[in-house]
Amino acid sequence: MGLLTKVLFFPITGPVAGIRWSLNKVVQVAEEELTDDTPVKQELMELQMKLELGDIDDAEYIERERALMLRLREVRAWREKLGKASPGGPVRVARESADVATEE
Amino acid sequence: MTDVHHGEQESQLAATAEGGKYVYCIIRSDRQRDFGAIGIGGGQKVFTVAYRDLAAVVSDTPIVIYDPTRENVLAHEFVNETVMREHTVIPMSFGTVFRSEEDVSELLRSTYQAFSDVLAKMQDKIEFGLKVLWDREKVVANMERENDEIRRLKDEISRHTSSSTYFARMQLGRLIDSALEEMSMRYVSDIHDALKPVAVASRSNKPIGDRMIVNAAFLVDRAQETAFDERVKETSRKYEDLLTFKYSGPWPPYNFVNIKLKLEKAD
Repeated sequence: MGLLTKVLFFPITGPVAGIRWSLNKVVQVAEEELTDDTPVKQELMELQMKLELGDIDDAEYIERERALMLRLREVRAWREKLGKASPGGPVRVARESADVATEE
Repeated sequence: MTDVHHGEQESQLAATAEGGKYVYCIIRSDRQRDFGAIGIGGGQKVFTVAYRDLAAVVSDTPIVIYDPTRENVLAHEFVNETVMREHTVIPMSFGTVFRSEEDVSELLRSTYQAFSDVLAKMQDKIEFGLKVLWDREKVVANMERENDEIRRLKDEISRHTSSSTYFARMQLGRLIDSALEEMSMRYVSDIHDALKPVAVASRSNKPIGDRMIVNAAFLVDRAQETAFDERVKETSRKYEDLLTFKYSGPWPPYNFVNIKLKLEKAD
Protein backbone atom coordinates (compact mmCIF):
# COMPACT_ATOMS: atom_id res chain seq x y z
CA MET A 1 0.00 0.00 0.00
CA GLY A 2 2.71 2.36 1.01
CA LEU A 3 4.70 1.48 -2.02
CA LEU A 4 1.65 1.80 -4.23
CA THR A 5 0.93 5.27 -2.88
CA LYS A 6 4.43 6.29 -3.67
CA VAL A 7 4.43 4.82 -7.12
CA LEU A 8 1.04 6.26 -7.89
CA PHE A 9 1.40 9.69 -6.43
CA PHE A 10 5.01 10.61 -6.42
CA PRO A 11 5.53 10.38 -10.12
CA ILE A 12 2.64 12.76 -10.44
CA THR A 13 3.49 15.38 -7.85
CA GLY A 14 7.15 15.11 -8.66
CA PRO A 15 7.13 15.95 -12.34
CA VAL A 16 4.33 18.51 -12.01
CA ALA A 17 6.29 20.48 -9.46
CA GLY A 18 9.32 19.96 -11.62
CA ILE A 19 7.61 21.31 -14.69
CA ARG A 20 6.43 24.40 -12.92
CA TRP A 21 9.88 25.00 -11.58
CA SER A 22 11.53 24.55 -14.95
CA LEU A 23 8.93 26.75 -16.65
CA ASN A 24 9.86 29.54 -14.27
CA LYS A 25 13.45 28.83 -15.02
CA VAL A 26 12.78 28.95 -18.76
CA VAL A 27 11.02 32.28 -18.46
CA GLN A 28 13.89 33.63 -16.40
CA VAL A 29 16.51 32.40 -18.84
CA ALA A 30 14.52 33.77 -21.75
CA GLU A 31 14.23 37.14 -20.05
CA GLU A 32 17.93 37.19 -19.42
CA GLU A 33 18.65 36.35 -23.03
CA LEU A 34 16.23 38.90 -24.39
CA THR A 35 17.67 41.67 -22.26
CA ASP A 36 21.35 40.89 -22.56
CA ASP A 37 23.16 43.03 -25.12
CA THR A 38 26.64 41.55 -24.56
CA PRO A 39 26.41 38.98 -27.37
CA VAL A 40 25.37 41.69 -29.83
CA LYS A 41 28.16 43.96 -28.70
CA GLN A 42 30.61 41.09 -28.95
CA GLU A 43 29.48 40.42 -32.51
CA LEU A 44 29.76 44.09 -33.33
CA MET A 45 33.37 44.12 -32.15
CA GLU A 46 34.13 40.99 -34.15
CA LEU A 47 32.54 42.57 -37.20
CA GLN A 48 34.64 45.69 -36.75
CA MET A 49 37.75 43.54 -36.48
CA LYS A 50 36.88 41.73 -39.70
CA LEU A 51 36.51 45.04 -41.50
CA GLU A 52 39.84 46.24 -40.15
CA LEU A 53 41.55 43.06 -41.29
CA GLY A 54 39.98 43.28 -44.71
CA ASP A 55 38.06 40.02 -44.30
CA ILE A 56 34.86 41.80 -45.29
CA ASP A 57 34.21 44.93 -47.35
CA ASP A 58 32.34 48.08 -46.49
CA ALA A 59 29.09 46.99 -48.08
CA GLU A 60 28.98 43.75 -46.13
CA TYR A 61 29.91 45.57 -42.96
CA ILE A 62 27.06 48.03 -43.33
CA GLU A 63 24.59 45.29 -44.06
CA ARG A 64 25.57 43.21 -41.05
CA GLU A 65 25.85 46.23 -38.83
CA ARG A 66 22.27 47.12 -39.65
CA ALA A 67 21.10 43.68 -38.56
CA LEU A 68 23.02 44.02 -35.29
CA MET A 69 21.56 47.46 -34.64
CA LEU A 70 18.07 46.03 -35.04
CA ARG A 71 18.87 43.35 -32.49
CA LEU A 72 20.26 45.97 -30.16
CA ARG A 73 17.03 47.91 -30.45
CA GLU A 74 15.04 44.79 -29.69
CA VAL A 75 17.09 44.20 -26.56
CA ARG A 76 16.49 47.80 -25.55
CA ALA A 77 12.76 47.44 -26.12
CA TRP A 78 12.64 44.30 -24.00
CA ARG A 79 14.60 45.93 -21.22
CA GLU A 80 12.16 48.77 -21.23
CA LYS A 81 9.21 46.43 -21.25
CA LEU A 82 10.57 44.43 -18.34
CA GLY A 83 11.49 47.54 -16.38
CA LYS A 84 15.26 47.12 -16.59
CA ALA A 85 17.56 50.09 -16.99
CA SER A 86 19.15 50.39 -20.40
CA PRO A 87 22.08 52.53 -21.51
CA GLY A 88 21.57 55.41 -23.91
CA GLY A 89 18.89 58.05 -24.03
CA PRO A 90 18.70 61.21 -21.99
CA VAL A 91 20.18 61.18 -18.50
CA ARG A 92 20.61 63.58 -15.63
CA VAL A 93 22.50 63.57 -12.38
CA ALA A 94 20.61 61.36 -10.00
CA ARG A 95 18.83 63.15 -7.21
CA GLU A 96 19.82 62.29 -3.64
CA SER A 97 16.78 60.14 -3.05
CA ALA A 98 16.97 58.21 -6.27
CA ASP A 99 18.67 54.87 -6.02
CA VAL A 100 18.21 53.95 -9.66
CA ALA A 101 21.58 54.69 -11.16
CA THR A 102 22.99 53.68 -14.48
CA GLU A 103 26.67 53.22 -14.80
CA GLU A 104 28.62 56.09 -16.40
CA MET B 1 22.00 52.73 -46.73
CA THR B 2 22.65 54.46 -43.48
CA ASP B 3 19.73 56.66 -44.45
CA VAL B 4 17.50 54.03 -42.93
CA HIS B 5 18.96 54.76 -39.53
CA HIS B 6 18.57 58.44 -39.95
CA GLY B 7 14.99 58.04 -41.01
CA GLU B 8 14.19 56.01 -37.91
CA GLN B 9 16.08 58.31 -35.65
CA GLU B 10 14.40 61.35 -37.01
CA SER B 11 10.94 59.92 -36.59
CA GLN B 12 11.84 59.09 -33.00
CA LEU B 13 12.90 62.61 -32.31
CA ALA B 14 10.07 64.33 -34.10
CA ALA B 15 7.99 63.79 -30.99
CA THR B 16 10.54 65.29 -28.61
CA ALA B 17 11.90 68.74 -28.05
CA GLU B 18 15.32 70.00 -29.14
CA GLY B 19 17.86 71.43 -26.72
CA GLY B 20 19.61 68.22 -25.71
CA LYS B 21 23.36 68.08 -25.25
CA TYR B 22 25.56 65.24 -26.34
CA VAL B 23 28.61 65.09 -24.05
CA TYR B 24 31.94 63.87 -25.47
CA CYS B 25 34.39 64.52 -22.68
CA ILE B 26 35.38 66.65 -19.70
CA ILE B 27 38.40 68.96 -19.86
CA ARG B 28 40.03 71.66 -17.79
CA SER B 29 39.43 75.03 -19.39
CA ASP B 30 38.55 78.42 -18.02
CA ARG B 31 37.32 79.93 -21.24
CA GLN B 32 34.62 79.19 -23.77
CA ARG B 33 35.89 76.94 -26.56
CA ASP B 34 34.63 76.19 -30.03
CA PHE B 35 35.94 73.07 -31.74
CA GLY B 36 34.12 73.50 -35.04
CA ALA B 37 31.26 71.75 -36.81
CA ILE B 38 32.41 68.17 -36.19
CA GLY B 39 29.73 66.84 -33.83
CA ILE B 40 27.65 63.68 -33.97
CA GLY B 41 24.51 63.70 -36.10
CA GLY B 42 25.92 65.43 -39.17
CA GLY B 43 28.46 68.09 -38.19
CA GLN B 44 26.92 69.82 -35.20
CA LYS B 45 28.89 72.67 -33.65
CA VAL B 46 31.08 71.40 -30.81
CA PHE B 47 31.51 73.80 -27.88
CA THR B 48 31.97 73.84 -24.13
CA VAL B 49 29.69 74.14 -21.13
CA ALA B 50 31.74 75.45 -18.23
CA TYR B 51 31.61 75.16 -14.46
CA ARG B 52 34.47 76.88 -12.62
CA ASP B 53 37.67 75.62 -14.30
CA LEU B 54 36.04 72.52 -15.75
CA ALA B 55 34.23 72.24 -19.03
CA ALA B 56 32.13 69.63 -20.77
CA VAL B 57 32.67 69.35 -24.50
CA VAL B 58 29.21 69.08 -26.06
CA SER B 59 27.12 69.51 -29.17
CA ASP B 60 23.42 70.12 -29.63
CA THR B 61 21.33 67.04 -30.14
CA PRO B 62 17.75 65.96 -30.23
CA ILE B 63 16.81 63.66 -27.37
CA VAL B 64 17.54 60.31 -28.98
CA ILE B 65 19.28 57.06 -28.30
CA TYR B 66 22.29 56.87 -30.61
CA ASP B 67 22.94 53.49 -32.14
CA PRO B 68 26.61 52.54 -31.86
CA THR B 69 27.03 52.42 -35.64
CA ARG B 70 30.49 52.86 -37.04
CA GLU B 71 29.49 56.26 -38.34
CA ASN B 72 28.29 57.46 -34.95
CA VAL B 73 31.18 55.97 -33.01
CA LEU B 74 33.67 57.55 -35.39
CA ALA B 75 32.03 60.94 -34.94
CA HIS B 76 32.28 60.57 -31.14
CA GLU B 77 35.92 59.51 -31.49
CA PHE B 78 36.83 62.26 -33.90
CA VAL B 79 35.66 64.96 -31.51
CA ASN B 80 37.67 63.43 -28.66
CA GLU B 81 40.75 63.18 -30.87
CA THR B 82 40.42 66.81 -31.85
CA VAL B 83 40.00 68.01 -28.28
CA MET B 84 42.88 65.81 -27.14
CA ARG B 85 45.35 67.70 -29.28
CA GLU B 86 45.18 70.58 -26.82
CA HIS B 87 43.69 69.11 -23.66
CA THR B 88 43.82 66.25 -21.25
CA VAL B 89 40.39 64.67 -21.53
CA ILE B 90 38.15 62.44 -19.48
CA PRO B 91 36.12 60.65 -22.15
CA MET B 92 32.41 60.06 -21.64
CA SER B 93 30.98 56.78 -22.78
CA PHE B 94 29.37 56.75 -26.21
CA GLY B 95 25.80 58.00 -26.45
CA THR B 96 25.59 60.15 -23.30
CA VAL B 97 22.83 62.69 -23.85
CA PHE B 98 21.59 65.30 -21.38
CA ARG B 99 18.30 67.12 -21.70
CA SER B 100 19.69 70.61 -21.26
CA GLU B 101 22.73 72.74 -20.63
CA GLU B 102 21.66 73.07 -16.99
CA ASP B 103 21.77 69.30 -16.59
CA VAL B 104 25.33 69.30 -17.94
CA SER B 105 26.35 72.05 -15.50
CA GLU B 106 24.79 70.01 -12.74
CA LEU B 107 26.94 67.06 -13.75
CA LEU B 108 30.09 69.19 -13.53
CA ARG B 109 29.04 70.73 -10.23
CA SER B 110 28.14 67.49 -8.52
CA THR B 111 31.17 65.55 -9.79
CA TYR B 112 33.63 68.44 -9.63
CA GLN B 113 36.05 66.85 -7.19
CA ALA B 114 36.23 63.47 -8.90
CA PHE B 115 36.70 65.05 -12.31
CA SER B 116 39.44 67.34 -10.97
CA ASP B 117 41.29 64.47 -9.34
CA VAL B 118 41.17 62.27 -12.42
CA LEU B 119 42.18 65.14 -14.71
CA ALA B 120 45.23 65.72 -12.52
CA LYS B 121 46.07 62.01 -12.62
CA MET B 122 45.63 61.80 -16.39
CA GLN B 123 47.55 64.99 -17.08
CA ASP B 124 49.60 64.47 -20.27
CA LYS B 125 48.77 60.81 -20.52
CA ILE B 126 47.39 59.07 -23.56
CA GLU B 127 46.16 55.61 -24.36
CA PHE B 128 47.33 53.22 -27.05
CA GLY B 129 45.55 50.08 -28.13
CA LEU B 130 47.40 46.97 -29.14
CA LYS B 131 45.79 43.95 -30.70
CA VAL B 132 47.92 41.02 -31.73
CA LEU B 133 46.62 38.32 -34.01
CA TRP B 134 48.24 35.13 -35.04
CA ASP B 135 48.03 32.90 -38.00
CA ARG B 136 47.29 29.55 -36.40
CA GLU B 137 48.33 27.62 -39.47
CA LYS B 138 51.74 29.24 -39.58
CA VAL B 139 52.31 28.79 -35.88
CA VAL B 140 51.40 25.12 -36.16
CA ALA B 141 53.72 24.66 -39.14
CA ASN B 142 56.45 26.31 -37.14
CA MET B 143 55.76 24.03 -34.22
CA GLU B 144 56.03 20.94 -36.39
CA ARG B 145 59.52 21.93 -37.34
CA GLU B 146 60.59 22.43 -33.76
CA ASN B 147 58.66 19.86 -31.77
CA ASP B 148 59.96 16.31 -32.26
CA GLU B 149 56.94 14.63 -30.70
CA ILE B 150 54.54 16.41 -33.02
CA ARG B 151 56.65 15.56 -36.03
CA ARG B 152 56.83 11.92 -35.02
CA LEU B 153 53.03 11.66 -34.67
CA LYS B 154 52.52 13.39 -37.99
CA ASP B 155 54.84 10.96 -39.69
CA GLU B 156 53.07 8.04 -38.13
CA ILE B 157 49.72 9.31 -39.30
CA SER B 158 50.88 9.88 -42.83
CA ARG B 159 52.49 6.42 -43.06
CA HIS B 160 49.36 4.55 -42.05
CA THR B 161 45.85 4.76 -43.28
CA SER B 162 42.47 5.60 -41.79
CA SER B 163 41.34 3.86 -38.59
CA SER B 164 44.65 2.69 -37.22
CA THR B 165 45.75 6.29 -36.75
CA TYR B 166 42.73 7.34 -34.69
CA PHE B 167 44.60 7.56 -31.40
CA ALA B 168 47.63 9.13 -32.96
CA ARG B 169 45.39 11.81 -34.44
CA MET B 170 43.70 12.46 -31.14
CA GLN B 171 47.03 12.64 -29.38
CA LEU B 172 48.35 14.99 -32.02
CA GLY B 173 45.34 17.28 -31.69
CA ARG B 174 45.75 17.47 -27.95
CA LEU B 175 49.48 18.03 -28.23
CA ILE B 176 49.02 20.87 -30.71
CA ASP B 177 46.33 22.51 -28.59
CA SER B 178 48.43 22.57 -25.47
CA ALA B 179 51.52 23.68 -27.40
CA LEU B 180 49.48 26.52 -28.92
CA GLU B 181 48.21 27.55 -25.53
CA GLU B 182 51.73 27.61 -24.18
CA MET B 183 52.99 29.49 -27.22
CA SER B 184 50.28 32.13 -26.93
CA MET B 185 51.05 32.66 -23.26
CA ARG B 186 54.71 33.06 -24.07
CA TYR B 187 54.05 35.63 -26.79
CA VAL B 188 51.66 37.57 -24.60
CA SER B 189 54.02 37.83 -21.67
CA ASP B 190 56.93 38.63 -23.97
CA ILE B 191 55.02 41.49 -25.59
CA HIS B 192 53.88 42.82 -22.23
CA ASP B 193 57.39 42.66 -20.84
CA ALA B 194 58.70 44.64 -23.79
CA LEU B 195 56.12 47.42 -23.46
CA LYS B 196 55.61 47.75 -19.71
CA PRO B 197 58.83 49.71 -19.05
CA VAL B 198 57.68 52.50 -21.40
CA ALA B 199 54.06 52.60 -20.20
CA VAL B 200 52.51 54.00 -17.04
CA ALA B 201 49.90 51.27 -16.84
CA SER B 202 48.40 48.53 -18.94
CA ARG B 203 45.19 46.62 -19.10
CA SER B 204 44.29 43.36 -20.82
CA ASN B 205 40.88 43.03 -22.38
CA LYS B 206 39.17 39.94 -23.67
CA PRO B 207 40.44 39.00 -27.15
CA ILE B 208 37.94 39.46 -29.98
CA GLY B 209 37.43 36.52 -32.31
CA ASP B 210 39.57 33.40 -32.41
CA ARG B 211 42.69 34.77 -34.06
CA MET B 212 43.49 37.37 -31.42
CA ILE B 213 45.91 36.62 -28.62
CA VAL B 214 46.42 40.12 -27.23
CA ASN B 215 43.84 42.86 -26.76
CA ALA B 216 45.50 45.37 -24.50
CA ALA B 217 45.45 49.06 -23.69
CA PHE B 218 48.47 50.99 -22.50
CA LEU B 219 48.55 54.29 -20.69
CA VAL B 220 51.56 56.24 -21.87
CA ASP B 221 53.08 59.52 -20.84
CA ARG B 222 53.15 61.98 -23.73
CA ALA B 223 56.91 62.38 -23.17
CA GLN B 224 57.30 58.62 -23.71
CA GLU B 225 55.19 58.46 -26.84
CA THR B 226 58.12 58.03 -29.24
CA ALA B 227 59.80 55.47 -27.01
CA PHE B 228 56.59 53.46 -26.79
CA ASP B 229 56.11 53.70 -30.51
CA GLU B 230 59.61 52.45 -31.17
CA ARG B 231 59.20 49.57 -28.79
CA VAL B 232 55.98 48.44 -30.46
CA LYS B 233 57.63 48.50 -33.87
CA GLU B 234 60.64 46.62 -32.57
CA THR B 235 58.47 43.93 -31.06
CA SER B 236 56.33 43.58 -34.14
CA ARG B 237 59.46 43.19 -36.28
CA LYS B 238 60.64 40.43 -33.99
CA TYR B 239 57.49 38.42 -34.71
CA GLU B 240 57.02 39.61 -38.26
CA ASP B 241 56.36 36.19 -39.74
CA LEU B 242 54.02 34.87 -37.11
CA LEU B 243 52.02 37.69 -35.59
CA THR B 244 50.06 40.64 -36.89
CA PHE B 245 50.20 43.76 -34.74
CA LYS B 246 47.29 46.20 -34.81
CA TYR B 247 48.39 49.31 -33.07
CA SER B 248 46.14 52.33 -32.60
CA GLY B 249 46.09 55.65 -30.85
CA PRO B 250 46.56 57.99 -29.23
CA TRP B 251 43.17 57.59 -27.60
CA PRO B 252 41.65 59.30 -24.62
CA PRO B 253 42.27 57.11 -21.55
CA TYR B 254 39.05 55.08 -21.91
CA ASN B 255 40.50 52.05 -20.20
CA PHE B 256 42.03 53.90 -17.29
CA VAL B 257 39.32 56.26 -16.15
CA ASN B 258 36.63 54.72 -14.06
CA ILE B 259 34.29 57.29 -12.61
CA LYS B 260 30.92 55.88 -11.74
CA LEU B 261 28.53 58.70 -12.45
CA LYS B 262 25.25 58.66 -10.61
CA LEU B 263 22.99 59.21 -13.55
CA GLU B 264 19.35 58.46 -13.98
CA LYS B 265 16.99 58.42 -16.90
CA ALA B 266 15.53 61.81 -17.71
CA ASP B 267 12.23 61.06 -19.40
